[in-house]
Amino acid sequence: MLNMPTNLYDLVRIREYGERGYLLEQLSDEARVAIERATTLQPPEAFAECVLGAKNVLLLFQRPVTPRLVENWLRSLTAELQGEQQEQPCIEVPVVYDGADLEEVSARTGLSVDRVIELHTAPVYRVRMIGFTPGFPYLDGLDQRLHLDRKAAPLSRIEPGTVAIGGSHAGIYSVASPGGWYRLGRTELSLFQPEQACNNVTQWRSIFSFAAGDSVKFVAL
Amino acid sequence: MATIEILATGMGLSIQDQGRSGWRRFGVPPGGAMDRYAAQAANRLLGNSKDAPVLEILMQGAQLRVLEDTWVALAGADLGSSIRPWTACRVQAGTILTFPVNRSGLWAYLAVLGGIESERWFGSASVDTRNGLGRRLECGDYLSAVASGAEIPYTGVSRRVLRSDLQPEMANANEFELLPGPQFEQFTEAARAELVGFGWTVAAQSDRTGYRLSGPVLEVPNSILSEPVLPGSLQIPGNGQPIVTMIDGPTVGGYAKIAILQEADLDHMAQCRPGTELKFRWKI
Repeated sequence: MLNMPTNLYDLVRIREYGERGYLLEQLSDEARVAIERATTLQPPEAFAECVLGAKNVLLLFQRPVTPRLVENWLRSLTAELQGEQQEQPCIEVPVVYDGADLEEVSARTGLSVDRVIELHTAPVYRVRMIGFTPGFPYLDGLDQRLHLDRKAAPLSRIEPGTVAIGGSHAGIYSVASPGGWYRLGRTELSLFQPEQACNNVTQWRSIFSFAAGDSVKFVAL
Repeated sequence: MATIEILATGMGLSIQDQGRSGWRRFGVPPGGAMDRYAAQAANRLLGNSKDAPVLEILMQGAQLRVLEDTWVALAGADLGSSIRPWTACRVQAGTILTFPVNRSGLWAYLAVLGGIESERWFGSASVDTRNGLGRRLECGDYLSAVASGAEIPYTGVSRRVLRSDLQPEMANANEFELLPGPQFEQFTEAARAELVGFGWTVAAQSDRTGYRLSGPVLEVPNSILSEPVLPGSLQIPGNGQPIVTMIDGPTVGGYAKIAILQEADLDHMAQCRPGTELKFRWKI
C-alpha cells in the first residue's frame, strides 16, 4: 500500500542541479513515486520533465525557476495527493532461465542453479525507477542471497530481453547495451517498442511495459 | 521528389532536430543535434522553423548529390565544403557537395527548405541508434525537403550569410565555466582544485553519449546510488577521468558528478574534437 506522508515537504531537501533542475532528496519511497505522479496530474509552473533516482527525484523546468516555486508546489501537494494512490497491476514476466552467468552466480553465492532460479522467481518485485535505457526497470525486492557486486569489467553488449541481477536490484535489459549485471535468462516480453513511440505520454503503456511503482513477478518457463 | 542523394557517408550522417522532451522518466534521453545552436542557425538561414530536421555531418568524408535546383544552408564545423559554414546558397541540380577535410569543430549541419522529411519518435526526428530510434544514413539513401520546387524563396539573391557576431568561434583553446554538481561536496578539496588547475584533453573514446577527458587522476568518492543525470554533467568514474555527459547519454547513472556545464556551453563542448585541450574554472 502507498501512503503519502502527511508532511511531505518536511522530508525534502532541495538541491540545485544545473541551471533549470532541482533534485529533491531525503525522500521516502512513497514520496518519491508520489512526486512523479503529481508532476503528471498537477505539474508545477514551467515544468518540463521528472526523472526518478533510487533515492531522489529530479524536477527539470523549461527555464530557471526559484527554489521557492518548488517549495510552494510541494506544499500544495500534501493534501491533494492523499487518496490518489492506487494499487498497481502485477505484471508477469515469463523467463527462460538459460543465462550465460547462471553458473557464475551459483558459484559466487554458493547456491545451486535451481535454488538461484527459485529465489529469483519467488518475490513480487516493485519497479523502483526506469532508466538508464528506454524502459529498463530497476526492480526492488531481490533476495539478499542474490546480491552481488556488478562485474568489474562490463560486457560491451547485452541483448534486449536479458533478465539480469546487479547489486540489490533485478532488471531486464530493454535495448542492446553495455552492462555489468549477471545474466540469468531471457524473456520474449518486449520492454520498449520504438515503432509505437508517439508523443502522447498518456499512451505510454503501448510503448513501454513498465513504469515506476508497478509490481513484477518472474515466472520460469 | 528527393532533394539529396547520399553518395558517401564519411564518418557518419544522421537526421537530427532539437530533440525530445517529456520521456526521460521512461529512460529516453533528450537526443537531438549535438550542436543545437548550429542546427538552429542553419534553419534560420533558410527561414525554417528552428526545430526543423537537418542533416548532421560528423567530420570529413561525406558526399552528397543535389537532385533539384534549391537552397541549402550549412552551419557548425568547417569541413572544407565549397559552401562556407554559416551561409545559405542556391544550388543547382547535379551539384556534388563534398566535405573533404575537418578544419574546425566536429559536427556540421545542412538544412534544406522546410526541413528534411522524416519519421518521428516521441515527437522528434532525432535519430538515436543506440535506443532503436531510426538508423544512421547509408550510401544510396535519398532525403526530401519538406518544401521544394516552386517554393524557392529569395529570388534575385544567391547567397545569405549569418551575421558575423552570431557565428561562434571554434578556437582550439577552450575554457569552460562549471557549476557545482550534485556530489560536489563529496569530492575532496584537492579533486575540486585539480579539476580547474590542470588542462584536460578530449579522448578518442567519445561519442554522442559522452566525451571522455584525460588528465590528472581525480580522487573519487564512494559510488552513489543511481540517480538522474543531465547532459553537461562531469561524471567521475572509478578511474578518476571525467566523462562529460552528452545529449544521448543515459538518463540515470551511478557515477558521482562533480560539476555541470552551463547549458549554452554544451554546443561548444560538442564541437571539441578528440585531442582538444580544455580548461575549466568554477563559476563563482
